[in-house]
Amino acid sequence: MSQDSEPRRGWEPPYIIPHRYDNSKFGRRIARDNCCHHIDGVDVEYLLSRYGSPLFIASERRLRDNVRRVRNIFERHYQPVIHGWSYKTNYTSAICNILHQEGSWAEVVSAFEYEKARHLGVPGNRIIFNGPNKGRAILERAIHEGARLHIDHIDELELIETIAKEQNKTVPITMRLNFNTGYTDPWNRFGFNLESGQAHSVVTRIKRSTQVRLTGLHSHIGTFILEPRAMSEQVRLMCQFMQEIEADGKCTIDALDIGGGLPSRNALQGIYLPPEQAVPAIDDFGEAVCTALSKGLAQRTAPPPLLFIESGRAVVDDAISLASTVVGTKQLPDGRAAAVLDAGINTMLTALWYHHPVKLTKPKPGNPVDTVLYGPLCMNIDVMRHSVYLPPLAVGDQLVFNPVGAYNNSQWLQFIEYRPPILLIHLDGECSIIREAETLPDLCRHDRLPAHLTSPGHVP
Amino acid sequence: MSAELANILRELIEKERLSALAVSANGFAFDPRSGQSFTVNHTGVATMELLLANHSIESTVGVLAKQYEMPTDVVLGSVEVFIRQLARYLA
Amino acid sequence: MSSLGRNKADWRSWNVAITGMNAQPDNPGPGLAVARCLRHAPEFRGRLIGLGYEVLDPGLYHRAVFDTSYLMPYPSEGLESQLERLLEIHAKEGIDLIIPCLDAELNTFAHNEERFAAAGMRMLLPQLEQLRLRAKDNLGELCSRLGIDTPETVRISDTGFFERCRDEGWSYPLVVKGIFYDAAIVNSPEEAKSAFHRIAAQWGYPVLAQQLVSGYEINLTAIGDGQGNMLGPVMMRKRAVTDKGKAWAGISILDTELEQMGRAILAATQWRGPLEVEALRSNDGRLYLIEVNPRFPAWVYLTHGVGCNLPQLLLRLVAGDHPLVLPQPAPGTLFIRYAEELVTTLEQFESMMIKGVLITPQAAGTV
Ligand SMILES: Cc1ncc(COP(=O)(O)O)c(C=O)c1O
Repeated sequence: MSQDSEPRRGWEPPYIIPHRYDNSKFGRRIARDNCCHHIDGVDVEYLLSRYGSPLFIASERRLRDNVRRVRNIFERHYQPVIHGWSYKTNYTSAICNILHQEGSWAEVVSAFEYEKARHLGVPGNRIIFNGPNKGRAILERAIHEGARLHIDHIDELELIETIAKEQNKTVPITMRLNFNTGYTDPWNRFGFNLESGQAHSVVTRIKRSTQVRLTGLHSHIGTFILEPRAMSEQVRLMCQFMQEIEADGKCTIDALDIGGGLPSRNALQGIYLPPEQAVPAIDDFGEAVCTALSKGLAQRTAPPPLLFIESGRAVVDDAISLASTVVGTKQLPDGRAAAVLDAGINTMLTALWYHHPVKLTKPKPGNPVDTVLYGPLCMNIDVMRHSVYLPPLAVGDQLVFNPVGAYNNSQWLQFIEYRPPILLIHLDGECSIIREAETLPDLCRHDRLPAHLTSPGHVP
Repeated sequence: MSAELANILRELIEKERLSALAVSANGFAFDPRSGQSFTVNHTGVATMELLLANHSIESTVGVLAKQYEMPTDVVLGSVEVFIRQLARYLA
Repeated sequence: MSSLGRNKADWRSWNVAITGMNAQPDNPGPGLAVARCLRHAPEFRGRLIGLGYEVLDPGLYHRAVFDTSYLMPYPSEGLESQLERLLEIHAKEGIDLIIPCLDAELNTFAHNEERFAAAGMRMLLPQLEQLRLRAKDNLGELCSRLGIDTPETVRISDTGFFERCRDEGWSYPLVVKGIFYDAAIVNSPEEAKSAFHRIAAQWGYPVLAQQLVSGYEINLTAIGDGQGNMLGPVMMRKRAVTDKGKAWAGISILDTELEQMGRAILAATQWRGPLEVEALRSNDGRLYLIEVNPRFPAWVYLTHGVGCNLPQLLLRLVAGDHPLVLPQPAPGTLFIRYAEELVTTLEQFESMMIKGVLITPQAAGTV
């Protein structure tokens, strides 16, 4: 892409921009090789022409590589390790099944997710059941099917005891803990607090119970953790707690679950350096966790506990891209360029928290200018990027956002638009749709019209 | 609307605000009265040249549309925004 | 400028690129001072190339010091942008050595170090691990390992701390700091919150809160050889500060305890490259470490003043000049900082804005 002179310059809306001391085109200059023509060797523009725009594009290869890499990093230092696929991160069926084929269990947090995992054929004893709202019916099923129950609050504990009594069982349970590692803001609304002594008193209560048995400890300190030491402190605190509660011989912990939180190469808003520098390698986290683990277990005689990791984002985020098309261009009153895309925060809600990296599908002439990327919604907050340097855009230009795999195909909104399809590029380069685009019948399926409202009425 | 815009443009030209702007081939513009400098893109430079050569808005749009092979209404919309920008920055 | 015919081993004729051109009057970046040290080193005959980030960075226009100067992409634009731009400049200038002078860019330079070296541009700078050890939010750990006093510091990502902190044994005033730059002394939770938001908006998260120790500030600058040795320490006490707390006058001192602290830090980190140790001698006479900056300080010209020109030493180190015999800097030399206007033309400003480079007069050479 030429920065200074082009032989023949095409049309762009005329503009005049006042100079400030900090807006020379050099300060925000982007690297030249900044296009995304292919994904796994498949031409993105071809995919858009064939399947329509916008389009989510998932890479099976990347997904499998990612989950193997994450698991290997931990297994190098510690065994046994089990990866629980965090359904909420992306519960597209094909995505889940790829990960289950790789040996991941299902980590679910609601009745819907539980049922979905069972529907896909995951046996109950390979499901980790987290979450603060597990109703009686789903708990009955989960207990019957032998799922791993992670308890969040005391009322849930009581309900589990009641059901266990009815089913005439002693149910193994895992406690979710929360605490302050000193490196991240504590998520202290989930599970039982360590510092206040709450967790200890609940353990005392559990030890007296005939219906439940404490066999596991869980904690999830947050998502997109950038500090490996936060996780080593997490493990240290969990091991210390384990020793304290095991001391009287009345319980034995056979599993430690450290939740998710490993970061992907995305640009969290409010972080100065770009992801390539701000995001530590997953290896650093693996080493931090396993070093803390071997220290924490050094004095212990019981067999080493299973290590569960529930990494979501780090596994799926960069395996999925969102391709979209410019449908209009504008010039804002302050002189900045803007483009309206056919995909907005309805498809990529995480744009509210991340500056998702974005590339054109092919090089364009023209000097990159400060550009705002808007989505198609009628809401002011529908902004995909508030400021990104791109060559002057025109209708039909195609842009690829990556990473977008984490939390978007689960949090996306059906607001005024149909949700787009998700395409999977197979290992052999074949492509198939793994989730259809929504259609009018899909969206009307749940509507019911009482007899007197079956027609819009007095339409002439 | 269009009459209002023509007025804005007339004022810029009559008060010599537009002609006072020194624009280099690089698109660097300097307003000697305010001391402010600007970047103007190549189509901006072309538009200013036409306006300074006493083309009306309509004729400026016509020339640009032909030169860049663009629909007239697209060019008209952008030129209107551009004239308003000029008015704001050079007022 | 062709690099043919120059003796690569002879540091005296090197082309040296220096960042940190933001020599603003109230809070100067160190680059201009580093360049003046080299320009005023009697043996140095090479070219100096200024690398700035913003078009009004004063150093960019200082023809008496720099032979030419260029604009660069901000470090936040990533490794590739920086590499591409520097290779472009290298192709024109034949850079032998780069001296990065700003905290926020060091990470990026350290990441690109090998690729620069492959192109023939050398640097003497701390590695990523060393940068991590001295990061403002890690300093506490380094200090406790070395038995050095430092004011308690916590990382915060929301303002709740400023209400809670009194229950946790903190008291106002305290210091709110950015992860790379900026610090404010605040007297109340309200002031703290507004400082927090201002700093987070510019430098991101986490923001740090530090207990305030009263006393006077003393600083040390030196170069680490990467083997744990400290070379050429020069120490300074601020004698007068601006209302932003920046030195406006200072005097060279000899404080063996500070020197010892510097030595311990360099040894423990196997420091490579320049550094500044900011310390505080409290009212009860204890020495606290405040910060370790991975670059030369803005007051580095004093090192030339006391006969221990550190930027020149850096060149000699990279060139492999051994052994280096350095004079002991005498205490009692003052610096007093002043502001001066540079006059430049609209053409120069235009060239910087549009082309990102100063227009070089025909026979480019030293002034
Ligand atoms: C309990 C639990 N486990 C795992 C995850 C997955 O987290 P991540 O995507 O950060 O790996 C989450 C996400 O919030 C969670 O709440």
